Amino acid sequence: MSALKLTLVFVATIAVQLSVFVDVRVSGVAPELLALLAVLAGFLAGPERGPIVAFAAGLLWDIYLPTPLGLAAITFAIVAFSVASLEAGLYRDSPLQLALLSGLGTLAAVIGYALLGEVVGQRGLVDLRMLEIAVIAGLMNAALAPLVAPLMRWALRPEMPFRSSAAAQ
Amino acid sequence: MASAQREGRPRHRLTLLVLTAITLLTMDLRGFGPADTGQGLVRDILHPVTTLAATLFSPIGDAWNAVFDYDDLEAQNNALRAEIDALRGGAIGAEADSATLQRLLNALELPFVEDAETVTASVVRGSVGNFDGHVLTIDKGSRQGLESGMAVVTAAGLIGQVAEVDGATATVHLLSDSGLFVGVRLVSTDDVGLGHAVAGDAGFFLVDQGLNWPEGGDPTFLPEIGSAVVTSAASRYPADIPVGTVVAVGSGEDELTMQVRVELSNQIEDLHFVTILLAEGVDQIPLDPVVPSTSAPRPVDEVEEVDG
Repeated sequence: MSALKLTLVFVATIAVQLSVFVDVRVSGVAPELLALLAVLAGFLAGPERGPIVAFAAGLLWDIYLPTPLGLAAITFAIVAFSVASLEAGLYRDSPLQLALLSGLGTLAAVIGYALLGEVVGQRGLVDLRMLEIAVIAGLMNAALAPLVAPLMRWALRPEMPFRSSAAAQ
Repeated sequence: MASAQREGRPRHRLTLLVLTAITLLTMDLRGFGPADTGQGLVRDILHPVTTLAATLFSPIGDAWNAVFDYDDLEAQNNALRAEIDALRGGAIGAEADSATLQRLLNALELPFVEDAETVTASVVRGSVGNFDGHVLTIDKGSRQGLESGMAVVTAAGLIGQVAEVDGATATVHLLSDSGLFVGVRLVSTDDVGLGHAVAGDAGFFLVDQGLNWPEGGDPTFLPEIGSAVVTSAASRYPADIPVGTVVAVGSGEDELTMQVRVELSNQIEDLHFVTILLAEGVDQIPLDPVVPSTSAPRPVDEVEEVDG
């Protein structure tokens, strides 16, 4: 895992999130690219390093959100750990499974973020709109996962071969 | 044994991450200065990258809006055409209307732009996340003198307040957020109250604190429909910034308080340029001179001597 490569991927992702997906939205909902990085980090880097990478992605996203610093970081780290802790035999190197996991992981990240936000006093995060956001963002992230996954594989490759290859061996 | 230790390590790491996040959350919620400064620094460092990306990718956003927001654009065009027709029809009375408007402005004394030092900024982007629909980013920051809490206006009136300030950019907390309370004055009655936007009721504002319902609902004590609502001198903003006009008046559930529904003077959804009033975002309630507290009353002869 190269810190420089990860930094490049993070900066490129936040730049795209802050430019393209301010306008490109479905029913007013943008994909959660940083949450996607977090889920992929759990999937590709495992339970030891995945949550650390996810925490860093969440922290970067927190810097641009009006909610308190650390809210996305804590959520993303837990989601990445949960994804990584799933039974290793479950993984197959199939784009469909990657997309499904990314969608469900994003759904969990969005709901977890809103629930934790309410716990720390942020108002208006938990309502029906939250579910709509979680579902649409999950679907969008599932669609984007095959495009973003190679970037994360590249950033994580040197020290940590991705798990699907390890499982295949 | 070694295997169990290896299996436990990820959990320990996660616990450490959670504790770190809780520490950051606590510091941020308690307004720990260096945490804000650090965030601002990162945003400033990444600002050139995000600006470049916005320039490079703007055609994608434009194309998306052109395809998927076509109906909205058509509706806006129709509304604009209707307005142009109305303006043509009213051209004869325009001069008189203009004079009336000027007299109204003079009567209401709304000098909010003339008297205040201002900075004009363009809107860089709207909300970036999915839960921050009432925030936008502008291209001016602390280098231009902006500070947190300053009022943000357009020619039509108040739109919000400056929230986070970085070197080159700042975020604006919009009036459309029901969590942003504003001290307002009802011009027709001179009553002062607190109001906020209502979730799910875009374009309107409810003044529901600080106003008393007159005994028997005497209409002479109620604000006139159509009268102006402006920021009060006791609010955190400069006084007399237009907020909107009264569209309905009623009593609260307790029959003791008054609730005033106000139509906002600004269209907050589609902003391109805004103006920031460079007045500090602090309470402007005139404070009485500080009187030193004493545990014992002053002797009578001393009081007489001072008074005499």
